[in-house]
Amino acid sequence: MGVRETQKLETRRRVLEAARDLFNEIGYEETTIRAVAERAGVSVGSVFTTFASKADILSQVMDDRVEALYSELEHVARHMRGSVLDRLCSLFSIHYDFECRRVRLFLAHIAASFSPSLEATTIPYGRNQRFRGMIIDMLHEGQVKGEVRADADLDLILDTLMGAYAWNYRLAATGSADHVVMTGIMERQITLIFHGLMPR
Amino acid sequence: MNHIPMRMNAPAIRPQKMTRRAMAKQQTREKVLQAARDLFIERGYEGATIRDIARAAGMSTGAVFASFADKNELFDAILNDDFAALLEPMQDAVVGAATAREALVGMFGAAYRAHAHQLPLILAALAASWTRTPEAERLRRESMRPIRALIMEILERGVERGELAPRFDLRLISEMVWDLFLAGYRPAAFDGASVENQTDKLADRIDVVLTAVKA
Repeated sequence: MGVRETQKLETRRRVLEAARDLFNEIGYEETTIRAVAERAGVSVGSVFTTFASKADILSQVMDDRVEALYSELEHVARHMRGSVLDRLCSLFSIHYDFECRRVRLFLAHIAASFSPSLEATTIPYGRNQRFRGMIIDMLHEGQVKGEVRADADLDLILDTLMGAYAWNYRLAATGSADHVVMTGIMERQITLIFHGLMPR
Repeated sequence: MNHIPMRMNAPAIRPQKMTRRAMAKQQTREKVLQAARDLFIERGYEGATIRDIARAAGMSTGAVFASFADKNELFDAILNDDFAALLEPMQDAVVGAATAREALVGMFGAAYRAHAHQLPLILAALAASWTRTPEAERLRRESMRPIRALIMEILERGVERGELAPRFDLRLISEMVWDLFLAGYRPAAFDGASVENQTDKLADRIDVVLTAVKA
């Protein structure tokens, strides 16, 4: 790798780290590119040669974050024990725990996903294919093991679960719940949905 | 519990007698709200400035600020009015529904239909709902209360009719159904889903929940 390439990657890393912290500390709307550049110790110009916009930075911050999580999770998920219902609960619990560590950052990500000026590269929360893939795999296994009805529409179940998962974050937005409370509610929701999925 | 027709009489908002000054103030407020609503629908929340809104309403920015502390407050006032106005078409859609499913799909379908022409406004509202002040959140919940009550009534009636099993937590179900309803706005805005398509998808998801609690 040439010196220039190395420098570019280093700028990228520093900008993403500075932005991640600022978005979480003072909020996304309140964070300016200038402030990000200052904290990262780079010029405003070099931020713009690396990123298209503040929304682009947010999207890449989030992307880097979940990629690291999923590399670990996909490994762990294979070794989880217990019923499919229990493992699904664990999977969502891990997510709530992870996202609530920087909850303001995550809420900004959710809010941005409703913006009409969404970048083509942005993956709104709940649409990550690796996350969805892990859930579908578990549901499929549930069918194989007879925990889930064979004729259940798994994509529909997935969408319903993701809807519940995502909107439970509104409790975090109002400051009325932490990840433990959200996990508890999600467990009740999954249990309810599974009640209708049992083979008859 | 109430039986058909499910209608709640909204308390009179306007006091009986108004001084000329209060009336002028009220008129200014309504003018600002209308101009802001049009601009938000046209350009979304970020795209409309207080200056634009004042110009469209034919007044100074100072006059706008006399009625509303900031753009956020103005926006909230519009949304709260909006959801209050939704109640009636939702109640109408519920009347005569034979099942809980039909009633829920009917009321949410009515909301999707009513909002179809103002999706940018709804999207902006959904975006803003994640970063609310506690006070704004309290007001918002207040304005949604009759709609949430309507969902509970539908579920309770489902239990009374023997359609839904009584042992389930209706509040949990009503929250889930409400969230699935809100989740249905994004596909309409980003994937261009039609109101019918949006409503059908929601109906499928509501089925996933209701199947679980069938008697």
